[in-house]
Amino acid sequence: MLESLYTPFAALLFPGGLFALALGLTLKGFDRRLAARLQARVGPPLAQPIYDLVKLARKRTMVPDVACEPVFLGAPLIGAVSMALAAALVPIPGFYTPDPVLGDLLVLLYLLTVPAIVLMIAGSASGSPFGAIGFSREMAMMLAYEGPLVLVVAAVAMRTGMGMGGLISFSLTDIVAYQQSHGAFLFDPVMWPALLAFLAFYPANLGIVPFDIPEAETEVLEGPLLEYSGPALGLFKIMSALKAVVVLGLGVALFYPIAPEGAAGLLVQIAKLVLLMLIGVTVVRVSCGRMRIDQAFRFFLKWPLALSVISLAFVALV
Amino acid sequence: MTTLLQTLSNQARNMAARSPWIYRINAGSCNGCDVECATTALIPRYDVERLGCQYCGSPRHADIVLITGPLTARVKDAVMRVYAEVPEPKVTVAVGVCPISGGIFRDGYAVHAPIDQHLPVDVNIPGCPPRPQAIIEGIAQAIAIWRERL
Repeated sequence: MLESLYTPFAALLFPGGLFALALGLTLKGFDRRLAARLQARVGPPLAQPIYDLVKLARKRTMVPDVACEPVFLGAPLIGAVSMALAAALVPIPGFYTPDPVLGDLLVLLYLLTVPAIVLMIAGSASGSPFGAIGFSREMAMMLAYEGPLVLVVAAVAMRTGMGMGGLISFSLTDIVAYQQSHGAFLFDPVMWPALLAFLAFYPANLGIVPFDIPEAETEVLEGPLLEYSGPALGLFKIMSALKAVVVLGLGVALFYPIAPEGAAGLLVQIAKLVLLMLIGVTVVRVSCGRMRIDQAFRFFLKWPLALSVISLAFVALV
Repeated sequence: MTTLLQTLSNQARNMAARSPWIYRINAGSCNGCDVECATTALIPRYDVERLGCQYCGSPRHADIVLITGPLTARVKDAVMRVYAEVPEPKVTVAVGVCPISGGIFRDGYAVHAPIDQHLPVDVNIPGCPPRPQAIIEGIAQAIAIWRERL
């Protein structure tokens, strides 16, 4: 097991930065290919997201006259960097343990809100009316899914904390270690409502159908991303690839961190992420239509919120 | 060292050329060519995504611009403005006979065809409307031109 502290190496190369980027782009490639297969198409090559990035790097970035230039260009950079940092905080069970102080669920939760905030800032700084619509929709989505997410995380943290004799433990290292010795939460009926709520959170956070309302191409022409071109748009693509790795990795750490020690642990982690991407993202995305923002808002404040509250109550009582 | 850099730059250009994103401008078309473009894009049989193509909603994301319609007086300014918003390097494809010659609208008082008086057109796809196979062939030619400009 790598006893890596929170070093620049962890944020830049492995498991954040370059490694997470390569993994995230591959995940996106799998996603696009399976989506095409489910629609009886051939689909793009697996490396298509990488081609897209190389292409965007060679295009020109245009800044609209009405945009606030420093904010407009700074927003994607902040988003990509924050996700690279977050990727270094996600444990790879059996292979990598993040820094015990920073490898904390609360830090991760805060970092996970950065992409949504960055999209809001980007949308409003671009000066486009579609960006403004995207901004308000992104904010509504965030208000809707953050609550259930925090409750799910609290349920997992409480289950771990009470199992270890305390009250609540937000340390990712503890959560992984507890499940490795006491069995994964995936097979724990008390945690099933929380798991369902977490699965609903995936498409909302990753911005895909049925919850891709802020970036809906056919309605608001990709909303906040409308005015972006070239390398700046590429940074947003990098941010979303890294976010996929972080969010899927968080799901693995919270619910099924059972893995062999050593290099095999890394391979198992990659396999889990691909599987989770295909089941939790691709299949959902090709089998749903887009919801309206009020429908999505009501959905999140009804089902995931209720499920996560039930799970939290179970954990507290059982 | 220089040869290595050249190889790398060539490699990058080859990779970049596999990701042409497409944007459609309707310059006063009767919608026939737009339906054919949508057919080309949407139905599984012609799956343009396997060529790396992606239809995008924003002109700022686009690489290849498909223009349909004879450029009517009403939309002329809007078309020029949207065209200017597509970042370089870009390739323009005229889809259908209207942007090429004006088609059945060529004698109309409100028509500014042919479109290459106003914009640099790289590929013409004649037809009223052109078949999806012809549109894919035109896009393939546009990709070849675009690759040289990257």
